[in-house]
Amino acid sequence: MIEVKGLTKAYRSHLAVRELSFHVNPGEVYALLGPNGAGKTTTLRMLATLVKPTAGTARVAGFDVGRESLAVRQRLGLVNGGMRVYERLTGREVLAFFAGFYGLEGHAFRKALDKKVMEMSTGMQQKVVIARAILHRPPVLLLDEATAGLDVFARRALLDFVKAYRDLGNTLVYSTHVMAEAEEVADRVGFLHQGRLVYEGTKAEALALGEGSLERAFIRMVKGAA
Amino acid sequence: MKGIYRILWKELVQVFRDRKLVFSTLVLPVLLMPVFMFGPSLVLNRLMQGAAEKRQEVAVAGLPEEALSALRQANLAPVAVADPERAVREGKYPAGVLYREGVYRVYARLSGGLTEGQVVAGKVQGALAALKEAKVAEALAGRGVPLEVLQPFRVELLDASPEREKAGGLLGFLLPFFLVVFVLSGGQVVAVDATAGEKEKGTLEALLMAPAPLWQVALGKTLATVVMALLSGTAGLLGLALGGALAARYGGGLLTETGQAVALGGRVVLDGASFLALFLSALLLALFMGAVMVGLGLYARSYKEAQSYLAPLQLVALLPLLFLQFRGFLELETWHHLLPLFNVALLMDALLKGTATLGQAALTWTSTLVYAALALGFSVRVFAREEVVFRN
Repeated sequence: MIEVKGLTKAYRSHLAVRELSFHVNPGEVYALLGPNGAGKTTTLRMLATLVKPTAGTARVAGFDVGRESLAVRQRLGLVNGGMRVYERLTGREVLAFFAGFYGLEGHAFRKALDKKVMEMSTGMQQKVVIARAILHRPPVLLLDEATAGLDVFARRALLDFVKAYRDLGNTLVYSTHVMAEAEEVADRVGFLHQGRLVYEGTKAEALALGEGSLERAFIRMVKGAA
Repeated sequence: MKGIYRILWKELVQVFRDRKLVFSTLVLPVLLMPVFMFGPSLVLNRLMQGAAEKRQEVAVAGLPEEALSALRQANLAPVAVADPERAVREGKYPAGVLYREGVYRVYARLSGGLTEGQVVAGKVQGALAALKEAKVAEALAGRGVPLEVLQPFRVELLDASPEREKAGGLLGFLLPFFLVVFVLSGGQVVAVDATAGEKEKGTLEALLMAPAPLWQVALGKTLATVVMALLSGTAGLLGLALGGALAARYGGGLLTETGQAVALGGRVVLDGASFLALFLSALLLALFMGAVMVGLGLYARSYKEAQSYLAPLQLVALLPLLFLQFRGFLELETWHHLLPLFNVALLMDALLKGTATLGQAALTWTSTLVYAALALGFSVRVFAREEVVFRN
C-alpha cells in the first residue's frame, strides 16, 4: 500500500531524510519511531504530498506522491499533533467543508457536531480532526505525533481508533517518539535517526532486540549506527 | 471550481462569526467616518466663529487714539501694557500691538496649530487695514483726487470647473482616497486570517491536504479578501455619506485647495454607468491587492508578523493617491493609465468629475486585471513553496 524507495529530503545543506526505503502492507500499522528532529514529520509530509522529495520515490495506494498528488490525497488522511480545525465553524460545518472536496455532500452527521469547535473539549476537537482525516475513508492514514497535547482519555480513544481502523483493513503509518504507544499499536516498526532508517522489523523482532523494550532496542540500534 | 466556492464560503463564515472583527471592519467606519471627516472641521468652524464674535482683550503700547478706536470698533478691548510681545508670550493676552516709528507690530502665538491668538491677530490686522484705507481716502480727498485712482481695475478669480467637478468639492479627492484605504484595510483582515492566521491556528496543513489544486485555494482566499474589501469600502463610503448629510444639516464649511469655502463634503453626482464603472474599478483594485495580500500574508508565521508585512504595503499603496492632489499639474499620458494603483485612483477621480473616457477606463481595467492575474500567480507560487507554507 505504501512503497518508499531512496526517499531523500534536503533543506539547503541539511539532509532531513536520507535515502529512506520501506514498505507498509495493507491492514498494517507501521510505527515510524525516532526522537524530535529525526525526520518523521518530513517523511510523512512527503507521503502526504505536502513536501516534495529531493530524491527517491514514494507510492501511496499505487500513485506517485510527486506526479499524482491529487490522486494520493484522495486516498490519504493525515493527522498530526498540531493540527486543528476551524474554530468558528461547527463540527458539522468543518466535516461538511472537507467532505465537499471528496464529493461527499449530503452526508449525514451526528447532532453532536453542531457545536462550534471552539466550544468543544480538546478530546472532541481531536475527534473532529480525525473525522476530517477519514471522512473519505482513505485506505492510507498517516498519524504524526497525533497524541501530542491530548489528555489520557483522548489519547486512549486515539490508540483504540488506530487499532480499529487497521482492523478494517486499512494501512496506517504511526509516527511518534513515544515508544510505549508504538508497542501497543504497531505491527512493524522503523527506527529513524538523523534522517536515516537505522532499523526495520516486526514489532516482535524489535522487542526481542530490546529485551522486551522498544526504547532499549532503539537506543541499541542508534548507538550501533553511530 | 466548487473548491473555490467552498474555500470562499469557509473564509467568510469564519470572518462573519467574529463579532469584534465585523464591528471594527464594517460598523465602526460607518460610525467613525462622520466624526473623523467632518467633526474637526465643524468644531473648528464653531470655534473660529465664536472667536470672531467674542470681544477679546489686546495688549497695546504706543498706539494713537485713532488706532485704539479702530480696535474697539473691531470688537476688541485694548489694554495698555509695557511690553505687548512679552504679554502675549506669557499667555496673558491672545494678541498684542506695538506702535513705534510708523510701524504697527502685531504679536500673536502663530506656531502649533490654529489658536484664538491667530483669530484675534486677524481681527487686529483687519482693523488696522481699515484705518489705513480710511486715512488714505481722507488724504486723497484733501488733495482732490478721487478714491477710484487706487483701483483702476478689478481682478476676479472664478472657478471654471465643470459643474460635476465643482459640485464634488473636496469629496472628489477624498472619496477615491478613502475608498482605497477601506478596500485595503478590509481586505487585510481576511488576507491575514486566511494565511498567517491558518498557520498560527494549525489549520493550514489540513486544508492543503484536501484534494484541491493550489490555484483554487489561492483564488478562494483572494475572493474572500475581495468580498470583505468591497464591504469595507462600502461601509467607509456610507460613513462618508452619513457625515456629509450630518454636516449639511448642521452647517459648517470646508476650504477647497484654492481656499474657496464649500459646503462640507460637496455633492457627488454619478449616473448609473459611472457608478458601475466606479464599482468595477474598486472590484479590480480589490482583486489585485487581495491577491498580493494573500501571497504576502502566507510568508508570515503569525498574525503579528503578517500585519507587519501588510502595513508597509498599505503605505506604498497610498503613496500614488497622495500624488493625485497634484493631478492639475500633470499632463496625462497613456502610461499614467497603466501605473498600478495610480491608474485606478486617476480613473475614480475622473469618474467623479465626469471627465473619464472609454479609453482611459479600458486601459485602467485591462492593466489592473493583468496585475491581478500576476498577483494571483505569485500567490499560487507562494502556496506551492513548502518552505513558506511550513515556516512556523
